[in-house]
Amino acid sequence: MRATIVAATVALALAALTAGGAGATTAGSCPAAWTNGWQRLADRIHAPVYCPTWMPNPLDAKIGGDYTDIYSVSKDRSYLVSFLEHGDAGSGDVHVNFRGYPGRTAIPRCKTIILSGGKTLRGTTPCFADPAGKARAAGIAATVFRVNQDADQWHVLLAWRHQGSLYTVSEHVIKPYTYRQVVANLHRLLQSLVLVRPQG
Amino acid sequence: MRLTRRRFLGGAAAVALSGAGVYELVDRLTPAPQRPAAGPSGPPPEQHVFDLATAESEGVEVLVPPLHSEVVTAKLKVADLAEAQRELEEALRALDARYAPDPAGLGVTLAWGLPYFETHLPAQVRAHLPFDRRAGKPVLLPTRRFPSDPHDTLLEQNDLAVLLRSDSLDHIGDARKTLFEQLPFFAVTSIRRGFAGGGFAGKQSLPKKMALAAGVPGAELIPDTSELFLGFTSTQKAGLGPRLIANHETLGYVDLRSGYFHGGTHMHLSHIAEDLEAWYLNFDFDERVLTAFRPGLTDVKQGAQTVAQGPKDAATVEQLAGEFKRTGRIGHSASIQVTSRLQQDVVGPDGTVYPKGTSIPQRADFNTLDNPFAFSATPERDRLSTDPQAGVHFVVFNPSGDDFERNRLAMDGVLPDGRRLPVGARSRAQGFNSVLRTTHRQNFLVPPRRHRSFPLAELST
Repeated sequence: MRATIVAATVALALAALTAGGAGATTAGSCPAAWTNGWQRLADRIHAPVYCPTWMPNPLDAKIGGDYTDIYSVSKDRSYLVSFLEHGDAGSGDVHVNFRGYPGRTAIPRCKTIILSGGKTLRGTTPCFADPAGKARAAGIAATVFRVNQDADQWHVLLAWRHQGSLYTVSEHVIKPYTYRQVVANLHRLLQSLVLVRPQG
Repeated sequence: MRLTRRRFLGGAAAVALSGAGVYELVDRLTPAPQRPAAGPSGPPPEQHVFDLATAESEGVEVLVPPLHSEVVTAKLKVADLAEAQRELEEALRALDARYAPDPAGLGVTLAWGLPYFETHLPAQVRAHLPFDRRAGKPVLLPTRRFPSDPHDTLLEQNDLAVLLRSDSLDHIGDARKTLFEQLPFFAVTSIRRGFAGGGFAGKQSLPKKMALAAGVPGAELIPDTSELFLGFTSTQKAGLGPRLIANHETLGYVDLRSGYFHGGTHMHLSHIAEDLEAWYLNFDFDERVLTAFRPGLTDVKQGAQTVAQGPKDAATVEQLAGEFKRTGRIGHSASIQVTSRLQQDVVGPDGTVYPKGTSIPQRADFNTLDNPFAFSATPERDRLSTDPQAGVHFVVFNPSGDDFERNRLAMDGVLPDGRRLPVGARSRAQGFNSVLRTTHRQNFLVPPRRHRSFPLAELST
């Protein structure tokens, strides 16, 4: 798998970097093979979700497919859908998370635990922090966050608001993708997003 | 300017010994800062004293470091020390004549390791090596590891380290050639190169440019004007020891014995790899401030790089212990300040008053892309790689080896009163330390200028 990831990464990273601007990836509709999963998610949370039409190699965004790592919907209808390819022998990971927080737009807070001697000090911190500019595509104006928590730790994350809800997409900064390539991937992902509305 | 990885690596490998390789980019990327003309006096009696101009950064007075620094380490290949002493001194005087002793010219500091003294001059060093009264130990100690060091940190055994500092790479190259190519006395064991500064005028700093050019992971995350890779200004004047404070004799810690090393100091040299992505992607700005300076520091403007650390800002042992109990963290600066700042006013032998809170160590650290060195005579042992890596060649002058060790131990939560704050080695609570990995260490003695060339050799016959 390592060779696959590395070779494909070089090609795609170059494509992503050169494509970087508008028009490289145009959002059409959620790919047929992926749409059922995203539609079921939208129906389950009674709120729109964003389906990507492009994913960094080698991932796809088929919920329940080979690359699905986490599929979690909380009682408050917030969700985390995670796709992961774990490379062999230190060749790296490709890891993309999608989140949605229906009905709220505030940045959530994550728990922190610091072990101090025999004591455990508990606190909270913003789940997404260190804003570093904006990314705009597909009618979305997203804020880039560099320091993120929990499943998004060591990820670069884009967050935006839509009709009273908060949405995010993030990617892990780890081999085979560099920080620069991850940022390019996220821009391309943003361009590729299409809204899937709940039915019924 | 964007340097391709192939050009970077090819350049680094091909010219490590003979030239500056990628570091020539420093001259192309950043013009030398304007420096006031040197005064009429010659080099100071101390080798380590290197007067720097000041500038203002975010309302704080900072020293403007030389653009280029280089350390060459070596083992001796000398039969007649006394003859070598004369020839080396002659070469050094020729350099003194060619260059002013300032960043526009050249700073040359020769530091001698314990192996030099113990192998070549054991009786003489026993008679003349200053003794740290406070520690009950000689001023030059065997190199050791510290609690947050990885188990594989290499403790080096060089005879000599020469620190070269200048805004001009040509001046440094001339000195290296003069000392290590034209003289037959040394077998070079490593060459370590780097850079600092360049961003005080609001322009993109040298570390940022160099990291981007080399394509090191996380380069894009470095703040544009940052003096060093980790985003904070390291050379604020109040955070560095004033001119003579690091001399063995100034603070009264040291018994100079014969006085041979009056005007000398202790130097510690280490290489530290820095994980920029871990720093910038796991610590938000507020946490970077808390861990780089001290917990509870909440009034720092977002994006600030120069955070005032004046004498009155220095942490006390009780503050440090209290904040650790409350927050579970120790700040990098705060933890060191309990030993690196004067705990009371001190009057130096020349009548200079050093107020409480004055910083003692004089740092001369600089960023590097070496991995871990630009050249190594033992590449396997040193785990040499041609892949550029963000790091720092840490150089610091203290009155004694014990004084350095106290500071370094405090950084790991070992307080001067013997208490040990239970901070996990390289844990997140240690901030900086959690993203640093020390690869090499060695202690050295820096003799005064009059004895810089093969110290004590004239006493061997």
